[in-house]
Amino acid sequence: MSPVSATYWGIPGYAIFWVMFFIAMGLFAQRAYFLFRVMCLGKQENRFDNIGQRIKNMFVEVIPQRCTLKSVTLKDLAGLGHAFMFWGFSCFLISYIVFIGLAEGLGLYPYIMGGTFETVYFSILDIAGLFVIIAIVWAAIRRYIVRPERLEMSLEAGIIMIMVFSLMALHFIIEGFGLAASGETSGWPLLSTAIAGYLADTGISKDTLLAVSHVAWWLHYALILGFAVYIPRSKHLHVLASAFNVFFRPLGSKVVFEPIPMEALEALESGDESVSLGASKIQDFKWKDLLDLYACAVCGRCHINCPAHVSGKTLSPKEVIHDLKEHMLEVGPGLLAAKNAQASADAEAPAESQGKSMIGDVVDEDKIWACTTCGACQEVCPVGIEHIRKIIQMRQYLVLVENRMPESAQLMLRNMQTRGNPWAGAQSLRLRGDWTNDMGLKILGECEENPSTLFWVGCTGALIDRNVLATLSLTKVLKAAGVDFCVLGEAEACCGDPARRAGYEFQFQLSAEENIETLKNYNIKEVITSCPHCYNALKNEYPAYGAEFKVIHYTELLADLIKQGKLKLTNDVDSTIAYHDPCYLSRYNEIYQEPREIIKNMPKARFKEMERSKTTTFCCGGGGGHMWIEEQHGTTKINHVRMDEVIKTGVDTVVTSCPYCLQMLEEGIEQKGVKDSLKAKDLIEVVEAAMKQS
Amino acid sequence: MNIIVCVKQVLDPEIPPAKFKIDPETKQVVPPAGVPPVISVYDERALEGACRLKDKNKGKITVLSVGSEKAADVIKNAIAMGADDGYVLSDPAFENLDSFGTAYVLSKAIQKIGAYDLILCGRQAADWGAGQVGSILAEILGIPVITLACDIEAAGTNVRVKRIVNDGYEILEAPMPSLVTVSSEIGLPRLPAGVRLMMARKKVIPIWKAADIGAEAAQVDKGNAHTEITTLTVPVRKTECEIIGGAPGEAAVALASKLANLI
Amino acid sequence: MDNYKGVLVCGEISDGQLAPVTIELLGVGRKLANELGEELSILLMGSKAGSLSKDAIAYGADNVYTAEDSILDAYNSDAYTQTAANLCKKILPSIMLFGHTDIGCDMSPRLNGRLGGGLSMECSALAIDPATKMLVATRPVFGGNAIATMVSKSARPQMATMRAKVAPPAERDDARQGKAIPVEDKVDPSALKVKLVEKIKEEVTGVKLEDAEVVVAGGRGMGNAADFAKLRELADIFGGAVGGTRVACDEGWAAATLQVGQSGKVVSPKIYIAVGLSGAMAHIAGCLGSKQIVAINKDKEANIFNVAHLGIVGDWKEVLPPLTAKLKELKGK
Repeated sequence: MSPVSATYWGIPGYAIFWVMFFIAMGLFAQRAYFLFRVMCLGKQENRFDNIGQRIKNMFVEVIPQRCTLKSVTLKDLAGLGHAFMFWGFSCFLISYIVFIGLAEGLGLYPYIMGGTFETVYFSILDIAGLFVIIAIVWAAIRRYIVRPERLEMSLEAGIIMIMVFSLMALHFIIEGFGLAASGETSGWPLLSTAIAGYLADTGISKDTLLAVSHVAWWLHYALILGFAVYIPRSKHLHVLASAFNVFFRPLGSKVVFEPIPMEALEALESGDESVSLGASKIQDFKWKDLLDLYACAVCGRCHINCPAHVSGKTLSPKEVIHDLKEHMLEVGPGLLAAKNAQASADAEAPAESQGKSMIGDVVDEDKIWACTTCGACQEVCPVGIEHIRKIIQMRQYLVLVENRMPESAQLMLRNMQTRGNPWAGAQSLRLRGDWTNDMGLKILGECEENPSTLFWVGCTGALIDRNVLATLSLTKVLKAAGVDFCVLGEAEACCGDPARRAGYEFQFQLSAEENIETLKNYNIKEVITSCPHCYNALKNEYPAYGAEFKVIHYTELLADLIKQGKLKLTNDVDSTIAYHDPCYLSRYNEIYQEPREIIKNMPKARFKEMERSKTTTFCCGGGGGHMWIEEQHGTTKINHVRMDEVIKTGVDTVVTSCPYCLQMLEEGIEQKGVKDSLKAKDLIEVVEAAMKQS
Repeated sequence: MNIIVCVKQVLDPEIPPAKFKIDPETKQVVPPAGVPPVISVYDERALEGACRLKDKNKGKITVLSVGSEKAADVIKNAIAMGADDGYVLSDPAFENLDSFGTAYVLSKAIQKIGAYDLILCGRQAADWGAGQVGSILAEILGIPVITLACDIEAAGTNVRVKRIVNDGYEILEAPMPSLVTVSSEIGLPRLPAGVRLMMARKKVIPIWKAADIGAEAAQVDKGNAHTEITTLTVPVRKTECEIIGGAPGEAAVALASKLANLI
Repeated sequence: MDNYKGVLVCGEISDGQLAPVTIELLGVGRKLANELGEELSILLMGSKAGSLSKDAIAYGADNVYTAEDSILDAYNSDAYTQTAANLCKKILPSIMLFGHTDIGCDMSPRLNGRLGGGLSMECSALAIDPATKMLVATRPVFGGNAIATMVSKSARPQMATMRAKVAPPAERDDARQGKAIPVEDKVDPSALKVKLVEKIKEEVTGVKLEDAEVVVAGGRGMGNAADFAKLRELADIFGGAVGGTRVACDEGWAAATLQVGQSGKVVSPKIYIAVGLSGAMAHIAGCLGSKQIVAINKDKEANIFNVAHLGIVGDWKEVLPPLTAKLKELKGK
């Protein structure tokens, strides 16, 4: 007999069932609606493009559990556990709908139960339940006994584990006792029938067995409903939000910026508060940023992979997201009330959060400035949170509105604004076009017919002695390979990346517009870059300002030329080589195969892969404006952490393809005192050495 | 408060010393390729001083620059920082003026602008560094002048200035209108930010010629210059630096021994 | 122009005595006056002026103009300028000399503006052109990157300021004869617009920067205030002073009064130790007079090595501790 069709103290089971259901769903919906409205306080953003691709992303991440399986390593198998838990629980979720909802609740019991379908499905549940229990127990041991760094021993996590465990346990009690009551003590589902068999032997009466089963059923039902009510009130909210988060994730550039149109600026001038520069209040963020906060499961992967955190700074992306979420839920009600008040033309309630300021109290400025924008957090995040954009939006507010930033940042930004590049001032020993002297290059504006391919050198490659060597190498290699290209020489301006990363958004916009204009005037169709930061800016960020040229990094070009046989590496490169993947090349742009192909083609080069490589590479510490912004005091320096990893490989040469990385690695070698046994080189320098000198 | 700030566009003083070149014939510096001219450091600080005053008191900042038409860039920059408008004073007659000539031209422009409460100048130009234009301008206009300010405040109808002296500071007050020259100790200038940076780009800066401000030819005649440059040279400064090699610890010890013997 | 004759030194009185820079200027003025065959005069302002006229004469002045108005005891821009202008209009000096001090830098441009003369500031050398008999002033320009010589063809008086310790002090000869001439015009109080409200003396612990035999200076490479403070230890071994570049002072690591450079203090100690500073010309202009310049910088291309006599190419973080330790040992501190 179905538990729902019974009568309890005169009340029909159906009534109890549906009353409980609607109360729970009501509480669930109320909370979900509240969360939705708070999220809608965020600013407009269009994440509804390419719906087909977005649906595909969502399914690929969630169903096969790529979200957590992607970060499974021998040291951290938790992703596997989560996958099993997810798949197992999904089976149960379906069973709730079918067996509890349809069969019990809607009384379709006779049509669904008692046949092959039931047996098959409950056999699946048997196995699923077992897996879930194993996974939960493993998770609990891991979290509370083994205590890996990335997990917190929070009460919430414990409650959820107990709930899930209880649901599984109750399932087996329901089945075991129920099957025992009806004498089905063998056959499928195997585990349940085994339990039933054991119970049957105890001699408890069939009525008692059934009663227990039914009580367990109601407890189980209550617990499911309780879980539903609890989910949107806990970090388990990620269960609801994460799928949407994946759906809405950025499709192109990993860190999405939108150009600020003139109309917005004019609106701001005239005091329109719906436009904000950067983010100083929670509602200044875009709605997707706020959805991110719901999606966070506090898994801690971003935390242990963040170079700032690893080197002992106060910044932890996990804490930033968590603190912002708490803050949002704290001030949310007030903001919604104020919005209502405004809508109904009530008293002028300011949409301000009383008390805590987001920048300062919730996220302090040290944390905001410590980020190198390396992207490790976003790469490893199972639910697609965009950490970097939030930090940069806060920087934008500090720089554009409050004029408050570390002095080292201010000096650099001032140089960008008045002198056109971040290296200007006392730091540079060269003039912009110096490096072209005596190189016999085609300089745009000075040659008869300019090629449509431009070698974009970048500030660092033109102004810093060590990096100029790499630039010279590249021009020689390109010439030897017969590539027809030109350079801008002294007319080349900064791509604007350091300004944008430091929050000085307008300067980036100005730079972008000017550079695109210049390239358009010269009819440039293709740009080769040596700096991954220029590459990222020109390729992923300039199109929003009207750029239409193709952008390639030199490693892509060279790998291709080698394949085509136009570039031959014939000299011995008798070294042991490790390749340090630059963040902006490997993580931001997925270019890590090409450099390896190039190295593979070097005779006698012995390549050693670093543990953290390709998209798991560890930052050199130079991104996010940190070639200029002073590194905060931590337990160590970021480039020292990376240096230790390089030294551990025992190679004699560490190779990279980014001017910032090269500088940071060389500084690391100097400071670690291993100058005699280890050298840092740009990949292009090694390529030049491997080419037959003509 | 109506504030006028006088700024000069100079060749970037922070180019690598090795790239600094002069032409001994024309007695001018050869502008290095690809390096844009910048606002003179102390003038920028004067502008910062003006912006701080505007933050605290309602007011208007007008910027003046005697120079080539390119000086419009410096004025736009000033507007981006917080100035309201500005004028470039450019005329063939205004080229290579000495301190008196520059002060005269500025005084005519200021007369044209009309009423003002405060004039701010840098203590000296980052290029020739004569250090006189502000004071001479004050004398021409017949207003009080306070030099080497590191902090400026409005105190009623007075301007209150913290002045750097050899062994500390002086707090001085003078009735407005007056002129103050500003030193770098006032602090870092603000970053032009927010909307201003974008809006300033579009501004068209008026150029005033000699006729526009009624500058008399005799006053800006090079023949009547009060001071002239007779020679310009780059000193050859090559001391043979003895570099002490070795690991840092060893080198330090060697250096210590040498120094201990010197004193 | 022809009726302008003689050299006039604008004297300064500090602690009741002739300021050292004034004594130096008297030496310079005496040479110039001798070459012109004209007289050297000095203007002394303040109630002490009269009592110092004997000293001024002993140091070379032919005429000592004393303005013993007590209003002039403390420097007041309007009062000093007014007094000097009145005197100049009377005696029409061909050349006027000022110290490049708080007083000189403030007064000389104003006076120049009022009198319509020709002024060159911060001169490293002054001479008379034998052919034209005009004053040739040599001064650094472009932050010290270049040297210019200036003349005033027709504007008079020809004026110049000179920093302390650029010229040697005048020789004292008590047998010299000269005249003490009181200045009759009193200061017109109604013309005094600028008022001194307060004077704040900066606490200088130890020896003053300009007087120290050893100066240890730090720049951007020091990184932060706490690290910058480590320079104190090294300076203390010699009983020396700590200075900073404009960047270091801008960042607040050192007081503004400790800025060494074109716009700060010019020092010429026996030893100048430059730590973590690149040697921008504007800073170097402030320390070129040092007998020995020692540089510690991790960049071997840094400009400081072009002017230093001794150097270590290395990170100061690794050099400073053993250097300080060894020096302490050798100096027995």
